Amino acid sequence: MNLEDEIRSALRPKEPSPEFTERVLARVYGMPVRPAPRPWVRWVAALAACILLASGAMGYRQYRGERAKAQVLLAFRIAGGKLNKAQKKVQMLNAARRNNS
Amino acid sequence: MKAVAFPLLLILFAGLAAGQQVKWNYDKLAARATDSVDVNLDGSLLRLAAKFLSSGDPDQAKVRKMVEGLKGIYVKTFEFKNPGDYTPADVEGFRAQLHTSDWQRIVGVHSKEEGEDVDVYIKPDAKGIGGLAIIAAEPKELTLVNIVGPIDLDSLSELGGHFSIPELEIEKKKK
Repeated sequence: MNLEDEIRSALRPKEPSPEFTERVLARVYGMPVRPAPRPWVRWVAALAACILLASGAMGYRQYRGERAKAQVLLAFRIAGGKLNKAQKKVQMLNAARRNNS
Repeated sequence: MKAVAFPLLLILFAGLAAGQQVKWNYDKLAARATDSVDVNLDGSLLRLAAKFLSSGDPDQAKVRKMVEGLKGIYVKTFEFKNPGDYTPADVEGFRAQLHTSDWQRIVGVHSKEEGEDVDVYIKPDAKGIGGLAIIAAEPKELTLVNIVGPIDLDSLSELGGHFSIPELEIEKKKK
């Protein structure tokens, strides 16, 4: 490698790390430097959020299902009751006709 | 051409499926009623409800079997403070929507003494009964039931007495 290449390599612009700005500002204002969160903390937070969302969705599905079940039973109770009433009246009328004839 | 025809067919079938539900307009009555019961279960909610009906319990298993074939259950009950808060014209309006060739009235009970009217309509199809509608008018209560899909009256009869459903006695024809 010649001198020109070595100089070019040494002077190549580099992107600062994400914490660089924070560190510089902390020095300027005399604030303590906050350590960067460890990568696994983010994964755990993401996983916890996923579990929370999934359990929420399951709970809502359970609620909707139980409510729908109760509505089905109520609907059958009402429909059955009205049919029963009509059936009984028809039977009473038939019985009355038989007695008359 | 096929790409256009398929979505059109889907829209047509969706329209036909929606057409099986009786589109009663309750707005006028809802304003006059003191209490009301509203059950609105479309196909997806019925499938969900079926999953929550226990297959281990014989009674719930029967309900589950009936529900699985249905496309919708719509029940509306209005309670009124005084007799006459709804008019015979209101009831006639609901009946008029069933006066089509699709629907057939199988039972009509009118009691002047008790002021009670019950009309039971079925929607016959190739496989038997494709839908059920009930209009029950009492002096201070009006109930409208619409069950969309194949409903077996014998099964409904067997369910009588369970889940507080009164016993329904339907005479079986001798074969």
